[in-house]
Amino acid sequence: MVAVALDETLPMVGPAQATLARLVGVGKTYGTGENAVAALSNATLDIRAGEVTLIEGPSGSGKTTLISILGLLLTPTTGEIWLEGRNVAGLGEKQLPALRARNFGFVFQGFNLFPALTALENVAMAIQMKDPKARDPKGEARRLLELVGLGPRLHHLPADLSGGQKQRVAIARALGGNPPILVGDEPTAALDTKTALSVMELLRELANHSGRAVVVVTHDPRLERFADRVVRVEDGFIQAIDSAGSHQ
Amino acid sequence: MWNLARKLLLHDRLRFAVAIAGVSVSVMLVLVQVGLYFGFMDTASSLIDASRADIWVGKKSNDSFEFATPFDERTFYRVSSVRGVERTQRVLINFAQIKLGNGGDLGAQIVGIDMTPGVKPMLAPWNVIAGDAHRLAEPGAIAVDKSEYPKLKIDHVGHATEISGVRAEVVAMTNGIRSFTTSPIVFTDIRTARSFMPQLGAEPVTYVLVKVAAGESVDAVKARIDALPHLAAYTRSEMSNRTRSYWSSRTGVGAGFFTTAVLGIIVGFVVVGQILYSGTLQYIREYGTLKAMGARNSAVVKVILSQAMISAALGFAVGAPLAMGMRAAMKGANLTVALSGQLYVATLVITAVMCAFAALLSIVKVLRLDPASVFKS
Repeated sequence: MVAVALDETLPMVGPAQATLARLVGVGKTYGTGENAVAALSNATLDIRAGEVTLIEGPSGSGKTTLISILGLLLTPTTGEIWLEGRNVAGLGEKQLPALRARNFGFVFQGFNLFPALTALENVAMAIQMKDPKARDPKGEARRLLELVGLGPRLHHLPADLSGGQKQRVAIARALGGNPPILVGDEPTAALDTKTALSVMELLRELANHSGRAVVVVTHDPRLERFADRVVRVEDGFIQAIDSAGSHQ
Repeated sequence: MWNLARKLLLHDRLRFAVAIAGVSVSVMLVLVQVGLYFGFMDTASSLIDASRADIWVGKKSNDSFEFATPFDERTFYRVSSVRGVERTQRVLINFAQIKLGNGGDLGAQIVGIDMTPGVKPMLAPWNVIAGDAHRLAEPGAIAVDKSEYPKLKIDHVGHATEISGVRAEVVAMTNGIRSFTTSPIVFTDIRTARSFMPQLGAEPVTYVLVKVAAGESVDAVKARIDALPHLAAYTRSEMSNRTRSYWSSRTGVGAGFFTTAVLGIIVGFVVVGQILYSGTLQYIREYGTLKAMGARNSAVVKVILSQAMISAALGFAVGAPLAMGMRAAMKGANLTVALSGQLYVATLVITAVMCAFAALLSIVKVLRLDPASVFKS
């Protein structure tokens, strides 16, 4: 078990099991007419507070399209996205950044940290960019990095951190602004097994202790033990949503 | 934003150094070329600017200050009798051959001025560093600039020579009075000047310098003189601008200098644009991540613009001293690079605008960046 310095003062973002986001009959088609390709069809999914949801499926199955739509990065062709009590599927690009900033943090396989910035600066800068009026971005960044166990590495550049530590910095960055939903795109794919498990453990703890919803796209079935639900996507359809619940 | 921009630039020091070198060269070229242009223009109008006349009067048909055709003494008296004129003085400007110490000849621009004893001349040599300019009233007395000594094979005040076969003696040496035409300026009294240029006829006068009486409007007096046949009157500043404009447009010197300056700006634009764009591409996933997490386009654009402004400021900080060094080096070659405070400020603004425009491609790139693209790796 990896020690995670969870901050008891981290606010709960919603009551456990409360639905934070809901996709209803969502579909995405690229192209038109004979060239139309349906990347995702009729997907319905609830994202609940305190839960870890794994999205699994082969390459090209529609996983990325699903989380892109969930994260408001892609506009669906059909269906509804319910967030903050309203259907936001039809909102324009002007309203979406603020909505994303309030609701989502993203973690990627490649970390995407600025190599010129220290861990502290990477997180603080993201907080400031999400909310230019943030009162103490550096203080908040320090607190989040300590939360993910990187207190002693605040002033290290990404090049001086291990893969697991970089991903923790990325997780701390995703937590900036206290979004209720963390979306991970293969966040453990670039890590060795031990490190991958410790990162998943951290995400699991974040879901448990702060009531966040964690949605992770993965190819790795070993991560299922950290999940409450596993969503299996194939050929653009959600084939099954299985309860895992092994963390309890 | 500034901190992020600075760190992103400094992260790749070699690339940053290339960007600063590009901006510096651009700044230096703009300052030196425009400074040289203004230096030449200052030289072209230096006689007019140094005069104390309110109005310059010449022939209406004159295009060039230096190659003006003379009129006779009667015109001088006609101008002197115009209402509102306090006093007038004659100036004769033309070219004559000066005998060199080695037996050769050199064309010189003779400036004959009114050295009437007891009357302060409205045009006289300035920056006199040796000898006595008051002695110009003596027959054959001339004043020559120190910078022309090597060209004229003169090595001291008191040197005797001949101009158009008439004996001349250097009685004063000036510093910094140079001619735009490259022919050395030789100051002398108008009577001596006439003896140097007998081909101009009896009592020639090229310009009449006018001092307007107290309480009279310069423009009104100028209009009255303008009404006289075949004459054109200009205020000192009008005459100065006319001369600058003549040399700038007729010789193409203005276009030449400004073309080089524009080339400098283009060099800076291309180098900074390329550096900023490659830097943006290098961090495109990081920018995409920030956009995915809700960072507004304006926030990301500010980072890129901040990088452009840092490049502009540092490039200027390096380029401006380089231009000063060039000015010092060119002084030895008798070239004046006129670097004024206004020119520095204008160049700084141009540099900032150039770098901002150079950042446009990068800005368009991040504005068009689809945040969903970060999921597609």
